[in-house]
Amino acid sequence: MSQNGSLVEDLQRLESQALQAVAEAATPDALEEVRITFLGRKDGRISSILRRLGELDPEERPRVGAEANRIKSRLQDALSEREGTLERDGEGDEGGLDLTLPARRPWQGGRHPVTRVIDELVEIFRGLGFTRARGPEVETEWYNFEALNTPLDHPAADEQDTLYLKGGHLLRSHTSPVQVRVMEAHRPPIRVLAPGMVYRRDSYDATHTPGFAQLEGLAVDEGITFVDLKATLAEFARRYWGPGTRIRFRPSFFPFTEPSAEVDVKRVVRRPDGTEEESDWLEIMGAGMVDPAVLDAAGIDSERYTGFAFGMGPGRIGLLKYGIPDLRLYLDNDIRFLQQFSGP
Amino acid sequence: MKVSYQWLKALAPELRASPDELAERLAARGFPVEEMEDLARGLEGLVVGRVLKVSEHPNADRLRLCDVDPGSGESVQVVCGAPVIVEGGLYPFAPVGSTLPGGMELRKAKIRGETSYGMLCSEKELELGPDAGGIMELEGDLEPGLELARALGLDDLRLDVEVTPNRPDLLSHRGVAREVAPEGEDGLTLPAIPGEDPTVAAKVDGLETVVDREEASADGVTVRIEAPERCGAYLGLVVRGVEVGPSPPWLQTRLRAAGARPINNVVDATNYVLLELGHPLHAFDLDRIQDRTVVVRRARKGEKIRTLDGEERALTSEMLGICDAQRPVAVAGVMGGEDSEVGEGTSDVLLECALFTPGPIRATRKTLGLSTDASYRFERGVDPEGLKEAILRAARVILATAGGKVEGPIVEVRPKPFSRPEVPLRPSRVETLLGVAFSAETLRGLLEPLGFQVALPSSTAANGDGAAAGEGDDALRVTVPGFRSWDVGREVDLIEEVARVYGYEAFPDTLGPYRPGSVPDHPLFALEDELRQRLVARGLLEAHTLAFAPKGEGEVALLNPISAEEGFLRRWLLPGLLGRVEYNLARGNRDVRLFELGTVFRGGSPGERPREATHLTLVLHGRRQPRHWSRKDEPVEIWDLQGLLDEVVEAVAPGDWKVVPAQEVTNWSETLPGSLLDPDVSLTVVDGQGRPVGQAGRVRPESLDLPPWAGQVWGAELSLPPEPAPRPEVQYVPLSTHPAVDRDLALVVDRTQPVARVLGLMRREGGEHLRDLQVFDLYEGEGVPQGKRSVAVRLRFQAPDRTLKDREVDARVDHLGQTLHDEMGVAIRGRDD
Repeated sequence: MSQNGSLVEDLQRLESQALQAVAEAATPDALEEVRITFLGRKDGRISSILRRLGELDPEERPRVGAEANRIKSRLQDALSEREGTLERDGEGDEGGLDLTLPARRPWQGGRHPVTRVIDELVEIFRGLGFTRARGPEVETEWYNFEALNTPLDHPAADEQDTLYLKGGHLLRSHTSPVQVRVMEAHRPPIRVLAPGMVYRRDSYDATHTPGFAQLEGLAVDEGITFVDLKATLAEFARRYWGPGTRIRFRPSFFPFTEPSAEVDVKRVVRRPDGTEEESDWLEIMGAGMVDPAVLDAAGIDSERYTGFAFGMGPGRIGLLKYGIPDLRLYLDNDIRFLQQFSGP
Repeated sequence: MKVSYQWLKALAPELRASPDELAERLAARGFPVEEMEDLARGLEGLVVGRVLKVSEHPNADRLRLCDVDPGSGESVQVVCGAPVIVEGGLYPFAPVGSTLPGGMELRKAKIRGETSYGMLCSEKELELGPDAGGIMELEGDLEPGLELARALGLDDLRLDVEVTPNRPDLLSHRGVAREVAPEGEDGLTLPAIPGEDPTVAAKVDGLETVVDREEASADGVTVRIEAPERCGAYLGLVVRGVEVGPSPPWLQTRLRAAGARPINNVVDATNYVLLELGHPLHAFDLDRIQDRTVVVRRARKGEKIRTLDGEERALTSEMLGICDAQRPVAVAGVMGGEDSEVGEGTSDVLLECALFTPGPIRATRKTLGLSTDASYRFERGVDPEGLKEAILRAARVILATAGGKVEGPIVEVRPKPFSRPEVPLRPSRVETLLGVAFSAETLRGLLEPLGFQVALPSSTAANGDGAAAGEGDDALRVTVPGFRSWDVGREVDLIEEVARVYGYEAFPDTLGPYRPGSVPDHPLFALEDELRQRLVARGLLEAHTLAFAPKGEGEVALLNPISAEEGFLRRWLLPGLLGRVEYNLARGNRDVRLFELGTVFRGGSPGERPREATHLTLVLHGRRQPRHWSRKDEPVEIWDLQGLLDEVVEAVAPGDWKVVPAQEVTNWSETLPGSLLDPDVSLTVVDGQGRPVGQAGRVRPESLDLPPWAGQVWGAELSLPPEPAPRPEVQYVPLSTHPAVDRDLALVVDRTQPVARVLGLMRREGGEHLRDLQVFDLYEGEGVPQGKRSVAVRLRFQAPDRTLKDREVDARVDHLGQTLHDEMGVAIRGRDD
């Protein structure tokens, strides 16, 4: 027993000696010498110990043998790794390591800039109690228009030039149909975000593409007021653009909200010299109190519950945020463009 | 809506706001001014000049010398080439130092030996019209030296106001004035018509009306409505003996300032009223109306009309026609007919002012592809109460500008009289919705300037009258004027008005308590997040493409596509993303590693929505790792793709989905189009039931358009479950403190034998202590029989609770060797089997 113990201990001592010797070997020749010293077939120190296995009690042999094999294999790994290092050092610089050489980095991946914006927006609204909902991209006229208080023969239905499918369905022209689907399936309190693609019959130019991402928000509960809408969006704006951000509500018209508003923000921008200035007012979203007709169409009692909704274009917000001049860059997917957004 | 600032001020004399303040006020009310155009721009420094004397130029036949009084008291000499110059006449004068709208700066010049101190200008030179033939004569009692812009009524601004589709009442100057005038409705007046005889005005305004529900006749004209559901009212009035000609300057100026083009005095009068009051009117040449009878009816199939724009248009029974005894003479609410157009030969005019149902007008406009100022307003709704006022005002303008006379009476057919809606408004509901309390008095003060009549509830009404019993005791009764009857019919519509007039900015924005939502986060978002995270960590960039695809790459066709190339909805994501690979390689971007998460569409059963699925696709081209000085470039291989796919599958359905060689699966209905992938180098993803859910592999080079230096392109696409199941929790496995035993085996395997099967068998038969199994080498050649290969495998055995005995491990390895041999004919090298 004590003999076996000491044999294993001998082995382990040798292991640490050998590893140290490997690390200290400065040239391939020196490394070869280390290899012979420890693993040499004839006089190698580990080989020598292994030869003594026969002296052991047959019961104990496997344990010692296994340990010896482990050490051998580890040492071999260490040797080849060191060998590789020494070779490359030799190639790179005769005099020693030049740590100014370019490092080895893996490929840098990245989310699409529009996804980045959506994720940021979602993160903020998640903190304000919202969850994410989704709905189909092909919709019926009911969900895209009528359930949203937009009669098909009203000019408001023309505001967004809709893409129709053969057979009567259409590509949703906004994410608002998700509002209706959520309200049909769930009871208040509802606080959802619906990010998704929407489509309109626009031709491609710097500020239009026939498909783009939209982010819809909806809150329905007892006691929700216009003040809550303003407050929620003001809070969002401060969290997204910084504490000094101001928002402005301007009256507007959407068939599915009343009152309706266009929402502008004014950011505090830091100049290169460190001083700060306010940006112009930037139009960033539409919002309003959910029209009672929309609540009723979805089977929610509009006398008891009220709600607000808002919608914004993450793509457009990205243009402002990143200084991108043209929406089409999002769809070109040029690697050189996408790589600029590969940071965390 | 293009609005003239001066016209607004004429309608609201109390309006003192500067144009900028006006724009701000409009924006705060919800109608931003998109553009403000100074109509005097370019005319600065130009004045009215009076030609005192005209004499011959000594050195030129076609030029003359004029003495011009520019208002400074001293006349100057101007050389001028115009054919007609009248002594004593007034002309636009550009003195030395001024600049013409075209940018030409005037200097003292010698022309054929005579000095010219400025220039008398033609319309064209002032960019006011096409006439370049002579200098522009100025009419009226003008003082020399007066700024030209003022003389021409061009000291005005044109505001382009964005009007939302719910507010047709703002498609007129009066409507806009009502929103911005300090006293609202009460501060409005109608501007005087220049040159009008007050006695004529009084006579016209006092005209009688002959009214009926179906048919009425007056002054020799009969009007009949045969489609009462399409036409709420039709008013006709005859003006006899007009002299059609150009409108006087004031009228032309007004129209131009509001962006309209003058045509002739009669047509201009109707356009004037349209822009001022918002009512589209039409003027017919009465002699061209067969039997002097107007029938408002649906057009008959096969009926045609040549409209004012010269187009011949086929009408359908879905369209409303204004017809005479025989044929349509106008497309109701859209455009008049050329045949009954008022022109130079017209003497008697029939004025039409009508009310058409919005929906069908919109349908007709769309069918004909013909949007006009009239259809734009009718589609949105015109004031049902304002017809008479409009037709009388048009008649008065015609009389003042084209002469003639009006006898009356007015003929009016109105199938259903209009009555003003009465809407209850509860102050408590206002507070519920807006979050701010308003008193009944305050609400009245906010609504009445917009033209609403507000009766306070009996408890608060000063003298207790007027308040009808309604929705609770505290409800106000609000009577809605005709011009707002299109958008205000419910309590909430009034509450919006309250918020708007009170001012959105006046509401506080303090965050109060709220309940978090009870709708669960959709699980597919979490899966998408995780996939993005993993693929980004593996160095892939996320791409976004649109859902459109050409024929062949989609099953669902668009009715009104943007282009033929985008005529379908994509069935797969990969073809679109490969297009992006081509795009990048064409730009010299060699290393392309992209992925996309997006929706694909399959044809559903007839009448059903197409089926949608969220797919993930990825493409790889170029180097496996970024170039580095320490190593050689290696291209991406199938193993890289497969590894990514393994990771994806682990995220989507851990332990359930698998990646297998494509040959093993034959029934994938989802096979990518046109055999996009090389079947020999492709993989299939199968779900837990063995159903294929994805495909990956080498993209056939012939299906791509790539530069000659391009390497292999690898692609994958798989569909994600619509509602991903919750991920099983990780279950901790205790770490063994006992040593592991490794055994290396070299297996001689038939080349046709899939290694995965060999490994699978080993895992199955390896016993409970087989911890790990790794292929660490693959070898063919010397020492290995033809048709076979050597697969080196390292097995690690370990027990959680004890040290394994050598002979246990050996026995297990022997068992494995035996089973491999018996079941798959696999030999172990260096063993005597």
